[in-house]
Amino acid sequence: MKPFQYAAPRTVDSAVSLAADQGRFLAGGIDILGEMKDYIASPRLLVNVKDLPVTREITPGKESWTIGTNVTISEIEQHAELKRIFPGLQQAAAEVGSPQIRNVATVGGNLAQHSRCWYYRHRDIHCLKKGGDTCYAHDGENKYHSLFSGNPCISPVVSNLAIALAALDARAIVRRGREEVALSIADLYAKAWENPEAHNSLTGTDLILRVQIPDAGRRSAYQQVSEKASFDWALVSCAAAATVEGTKLSKVRVVLGAVAPIPWQVQAAHDFLEGKKLDDDVATQAAGIILKDATPREHNGYKVPIAQALIRRTLKQLVG
Amino acid sequence: MLSWPEKRDVIGQSTPRVDAPAKVTGAAKYSSDVQPEGWLYGMIYRSRWPAAKVTGINIEKAKQIPGIKAVVVERDGERTVRFYGEELAAVAGTSKQACLDALLVIEVEATPLPFVVKEEAARNPNSPRVWPDAANLPEPNVREKGDVDKAFAAAAAVVEGFFTTPTQLHQPLETHGNTVSVTYDGVTCWASTQGIFSVRDGLADYLEVPHEKVRVITDHMGGGFGAKFGPGAEGGLAGRLSKAAGAPVKLMLTRFDQSLAVGNRPSSFQQIKLGADADGKMVAFEMNSFGTAGIGAGASSAGGGGGAGFPAPYIYVVPNIRVKQSSVAINAGQARAFRAPGHPIASFGMESIVDELAVKLKMDPVELRLKNDPNKIRQREYAIGIEHFGWKQKYKPPGSSPGPIKVGVGCAGATWGGGGRGTQADVQINPDGSVEVRCGTQDLGTGTRTLVAVVAAEVFGLKPEQISARIGDTQFPPSGGSGGSTTAASVCPAIFDACTNALQDLQKKTGVADARGSNWSAACRKLGVNPLTSHGKWQEGLSSSGAGGVQFAEVEVDTETGFVKVRKILCVQDCGLIVDKLTCETQINGGVIMGLGYALYEERVMDSATGVVLNPNFETYKVPNFADVPEIEVILVDMPERGVIGVGEPATIPTAGAIANAVANALGVRVSSLPITPARVLAALGKVGKVGSKA
Repeated sequence: MKPFQYAAPRTVDSAVSLAADQGRFLAGGIDILGEMKDYIASPRLLVNVKDLPVTREITPGKESWTIGTNVTISEIEQHAELKRIFPGLQQAAAEVGSPQIRNVATVGGNLAQHSRCWYYRHRDIHCLKKGGDTCYAHDGENKYHSLFSGNPCISPVVSNLAIALAALDARAIVRRGREEVALSIADLYAKAWENPEAHNSLTGTDLILRVQIPDAGRRSAYQQVSEKASFDWALVSCAAAATVEGTKLSKVRVVLGAVAPIPWQVQAAHDFLEGKKLDDDVATQAAGIILKDATPREHNGYKVPIAQALIRRTLKQLVG
Repeated sequence: MLSWPEKRDVIGQSTPRVDAPAKVTGAAKYSSDVQPEGWLYGMIYRSRWPAAKVTGINIEKAKQIPGIKAVVVERDGERTVRFYGEELAAVAGTSKQACLDALLVIEVEATPLPFVVKEEAARNPNSPRVWPDAANLPEPNVREKGDVDKAFAAAAAVVEGFFTTPTQLHQPLETHGNTVSVTYDGVTCWASTQGIFSVRDGLADYLEVPHEKVRVITDHMGGGFGAKFGPGAEGGLAGRLSKAAGAPVKLMLTRFDQSLAVGNRPSSFQQIKLGADADGKMVAFEMNSFGTAGIGAGASSAGGGGGAGFPAPYIYVVPNIRVKQSSVAINAGQARAFRAPGHPIASFGMESIVDELAVKLKMDPVELRLKNDPNKIRQREYAIGIEHFGWKQKYKPPGSSPGPIKVGVGCAGATWGGGGRGTQADVQINPDGSVEVRCGTQDLGTGTRTLVAVVAAEVFGLKPEQISARIGDTQFPPSGGSGGSTTAASVCPAIFDACTNALQDLQKKTGVADARGSNWSAACRKLGVNPLTSHGKWQEGLSSSGAGGVQFAEVEVDTETGFVKVRKILCVQDCGLIVDKLTCETQINGGVIMGLGYALYEERVMDSATGVVLNPNFETYKVPNFADVPEIEVILVDMPERGVIGVGEPATIPTAGAIANAVANALGVRVSSLPITPARVLAALGKVGKVGSKA
């Protein structure tokens, strides 16, 4: 790790202006400290945002819930009301890292975390994502990589919360310049689809303040498959949400994680599922639509059957 | 000749570790906890090239970093580096940060050379050579017996398979490293080691001082599995840094370092053909195998056994065999002895093909084993296992369990030498009745200190907690390294001999006919002011070698996601006389968990394009967590008549083979490569489409 300066501002204005000069935001520190220790990032200044006002609350509202950026993953995991209303979000939180990590990792940090690609994270490899000219994963060791990408970098998004929040039509409220903007989860990651150096759509001074989740009475679910039973990244994750009457679905969202640089959702699949009674055949057809354009590489083709299974199971969980 | 007492009060009981309170309260100081006055941090600068000609290393800027007290180059002059992570220089400073800063400003002049890091590529004669004067793939070692071709031609059933095992990294929770203090009077080294005397001798030779000038201390250490016998490059560099800085230097490797340069279990690629007659008697066996030990084998481990060869056809008796084995060199960190070198590799391949044969013959896999493995102890263990595991009820034809989540069972057997000799020990009985036993062995975490106390307590009629077992210091009477499952069999007889001598001396000196148990305090008081000291050494007749062991696994496999969950492992294990049932069982638990990691998770991943290890951390070099660990049932077959035999190694050998067989039994198809990941399960099931094709 290279030496750095440290600031702990008490206002968002001050945090954003401090970050402007080669600063990086610090909350739980899980992601940024790892990058610094491995010399992936060497910011001049760490701007601790943990003390910013009104960022640690989980607040119910008439139409939506608000979760502050500094709420920890374990607070989400253990929040009884959230678990009842947004079970998919709670399940996604419960699969993050280990209990120790969940106790300090935050919502904002989980959403803004950078690629876990082992080429990107290697201190001596200068890959495309770091501004080099080669994505080594393309023809290399790509078992953990994307089935879809809009650019030559094939490192996938790994935020569990992003997948669950996308299914729930949540919005991230981001301080951008002097304004607060509300980004859909798709918008929050859109830039990573086209730009190999981007991990998400945030600039260095964009700061996630909170997320808002509409309370539309929809059911939700999240499942992932990893190589180990716990404390492991998802090989593929899947979140789904829908209004359910009997087995009939409406307002359906199905989102895959760890298969693309963005939470992967296909509008045609949502349209297909709208108003349908869920059975194995419908779920399988939906999976087919979602995975239609998948382009497996040498070592990641196995993600396709896992994604198919997870789509079926997550949808079934909604009506189960 | 000495023999163990017929009636045993302490030996064979479940004695909790005598050092457990110290460990759980943090009072126990591990080698990495040691902080002698004025100590400095040490760190190593490593090659960033998988192969290069190094023509200069400039350490001047590193010396100028505030807090840096010494910088040394690993060796002078031009050199060729042959793997990413090879040691080039080292720094010592007053803080970790100073060392990190110094590493960043070391300048190396180097010309990159072509390299190869994958076994299959390295076999190609046109690939870059790891060593200029030798082909990467030398001629194989050939072993032949009988007439293999004729026997195959006459066999009623022939099965063939291709099996691969990964390079498994040494990943003890305490990384390799030492704290070394070099002074005018001599050298003190606090080592995370399996062999305090081999560290002493290695470090003394490296620093060119007499062996007696070096004292090595290992009070507690965090695991060693065959790669921690010598001081290592890191120990030598710490010694030179200490000498240069005039202060103790603690140089513990980072997890990143640990993954590169301090040893691994070689990989294997095994083509196996096995034939049997209609009754299931094996008649012919043929194997062509290769694997890699990286740039070489056995480097500075002093443990041996790090090559890519392994026993075949392992525990089975086959009259006609042809075995060809070779090691292929690649530009990667070298192999070192790794818990039962060769055996888990051998067991996985052989036990897999044996189950294939059972399927072909429509024969129960255990029955087939009993027909071809003549070892009496394993025969007995299979019989116990069949009963306790419920094998007859659980074993079903492959792939026959209903639904997407399929259940399967499998089994596998092990053999290991163990045994040991050569240890000496001193016993001091104090007039207040307290007892000190001193022995220059070390505790890898397996409970050696407790074994010492148990044996002494048995002889004196005392409780283990009344014995002070002092180990882990080269100033105590010598003992060997803790490897090859030899510690218990080497140490326990020496303690028994020393304590027996001490008891006789005490009784003679005090005139108490039987000083044991309730007479102990009174007898000791008669010693007056001077403690009594007696010596003892390893004796014939109290130990032997040759352990078996069989394991049964029950798994469930999700055929839609490829996820394997191990439900249960049953281990039926012999190791002669059980000294402490509890530590024996826990050591077996550890062996099974390590075997589970080998079966399902662990694999060093090398990158062809850059030559680096892509997973030098626990994020992507995956080891089992608690959630992955199944119910482990241990049934010990106590054989006191055989004396003490070690158990560390046999317990890890058959786990992967048993799990692989259980997975194959569940699926009806075999995953023939370790680790058995979801990707490989789905591929074996034919569910993974072609590369580049649309899903």
